[in-house]
Amino acid sequence: MSPSFYYALKASFFIWLLTTAYGLRAQSANFSRELRFAQYLADKDAFDEATYVLQRIDSRILQQTERDSLAYYLGWTAYSSKSLDQAAQQLLAVSPVSAFYQKSRFFGAYCLLFQGKRDSANVVIERISPSDSTLGELKALQLAGITLLQRRLTDYQRFSQIFTYSSYAMAEEQKRLDTYYKKLSSQKHKSPFLAGLYSSLIPGLGKIYAGKKMQGIAALLPVVTLGLLTFEGYRKDGPRSLRFLGFGSLFTVFYVGNVWGSALAVKIKRDEFNREYDNKILFDLHIPMRNLFQ
Amino acid sequence: MTTRFCLICTFLCVTYFSKAQQSGQLSGLAAADSLLAANQYFEAGIAYERVLFENTETAATYKAVLGKTLSLKQMGRYNTAVTFINSQFSNSYPDSVRYQLRYQQILCAYLAGQFENTRSLLERLPVEHPGAPYSPLLECIRVFTLNELHRWAEAAVAYREAIGRLGADTTSDDPYRRLPKLKRESKAQWLSTFLPGAGQLYAGKPGEAILSILVQSAGLYFGVTSFLNAYYLSAWGVGAALFGSFHAGGVRRSQALVRQYNQRQISAFNERVKKRLLYQSSPDSASGR
Repeated sequence: MSPSFYYALKASFFIWLLTTAYGLRAQSANFSRELRFAQYLADKDAFDEATYVLQRIDSRILQQTERDSLAYYLGWTAYSSKSLDQAAQQLLAVSPVSAFYQKSRFFGAYCLLFQGKRDSANVVIERISPSDSTLGELKALQLAGITLLQRRLTDYQRFSQIFTYSSYAMAEEQKRLDTYYKKLSSQKHKSPFLAGLYSSLIPGLGKIYAGKKMQGIAALLPVVTLGLLTFEGYRKDGPRSLRFLGFGSLFTVFYVGNVWGSALAVKIKRDEFNREYDNKILFDLHIPMRNLFQ
Repeated sequence: MTTRFCLICTFLCVTYFSKAQQSGQLSGLAAADSLLAANQYFEAGIAYERVLFENTETAATYKAVLGKTLSLKQMGRYNTAVTFINSQFSNSYPDSVRYQLRYQQILCAYLAGQFENTRSLLERLPVEHPGAPYSPLLECIRVFTLNELHRWAEAAVAYREAIGRLGADTTSDDPYRRLPKLKRESKAQWLSTFLPGAGQLYAGKPGEAILSILVQSAGLYFGVTSFLNAYYLSAWGVGAALFGSFHAGGVRRSQALVRQYNQRQISAFNERVKKRLLYQSSPDSASGR
């Protein structure tokens, strides 16, 4: 064996060692580059493209921290494109060792909350161990908001006691949650039966009682007109006349419809009220998270 | 001995790493181009974005911007293409490149229905690129855009200029000699208020005019006969109510019909101009001349 061949063999082995180490580093660098590229796409609002890039990364060859980062970025992209189901699934897959853990838990729970999965969101938030007092207060705010959304008003004060009203990120939202609590506590429970009864006495009055003033006035007009026409038919042509029977039938349909509509109006108004406050609460739970986690 | 060993190592390493780096840079744009050629527009768009993300070289950047624009165009995302070109437009590009980008932006703006934006971009083009070559397609787009914006006088000038440049006869079959005659909504409203059905007739819908006259007459007849027979409540509650409702509805309907009529006239006129201009620009027409 010539000395040149020996040196070449030795050099090749050295190169092999070097390239293996380089390959491992390159794999990690490649992952970081793909993440940065996906973020670049997401910054340009190209969420579908960013998701495509992230989904093409083979998570099996990644380390735990990299897998967490991948899940976080997939979740965040889905959250940004309002695919909340996908976002919750990915964000809640981030493990506690990740630097994104707390943020992922809060936002993952919020995605569940927005989809109406309030019990699941409550469980996720309750299990969070806040890393500092501000996050502790954020946790209390979220739990207080969930009690309002679930209308467990007696539990609200247990969490609102933790509010300091001094954090720039959530002081206003804490005050507003207190206002919502008062509004929800003082909400009058109107009776559909009473609304129907009122409308049977004076057409449209039940709708005014339910909180739909304009509908009440609008309902009065056709019922009264048909009532007058029925009365005219009865007075001029008698109870067996076609005029009396025709207008009488129409009057009956409108009268009964108005009574039934008034009973329904109570439920509709209650649903509108609940929806309005649910949206306000969800909005005020979201703002502090955006303030704290940039 | 050690020197020889080091030299072999250096030679092998330099060859390996420089080749890998070179092929990586070249393959990005080539891969994007091949995806575009294979009609995989979504993937091609991402590949071009990757070139933009990883590259700072002007030539590669320009090619990537153009490629991405073509991908977006093929996917029908014209609004996104307009915004994308805006965000990528750079004064560091050569003049010919900037012209190409502006050209694509005008096409995308027109296809996206951004007619005011298209007009504005077309106005800026000769100012930004005084020596740019004449483009028959851009001239056609100028005419179509002005038509869409109902700027008939300017459209007529642009149309005659375009036809003249194409070498066609500008005196015969000029659609701008007979501009679409539009009807006035206020006139239809006024007619329907005083003569039931007249507004619908003015809008060119005699069937609807007859129907309107019939239902209003029925309401009026019922009201009058009820009143004459001393059914005063029926005269008011049914006759007057029916007549009033159908009358008010007739007035509103006549306005809507005039609006639809005008829209039809404008669309038909624009279509006529489009057909004529595109025919004159086509190679068949040129060979005929």
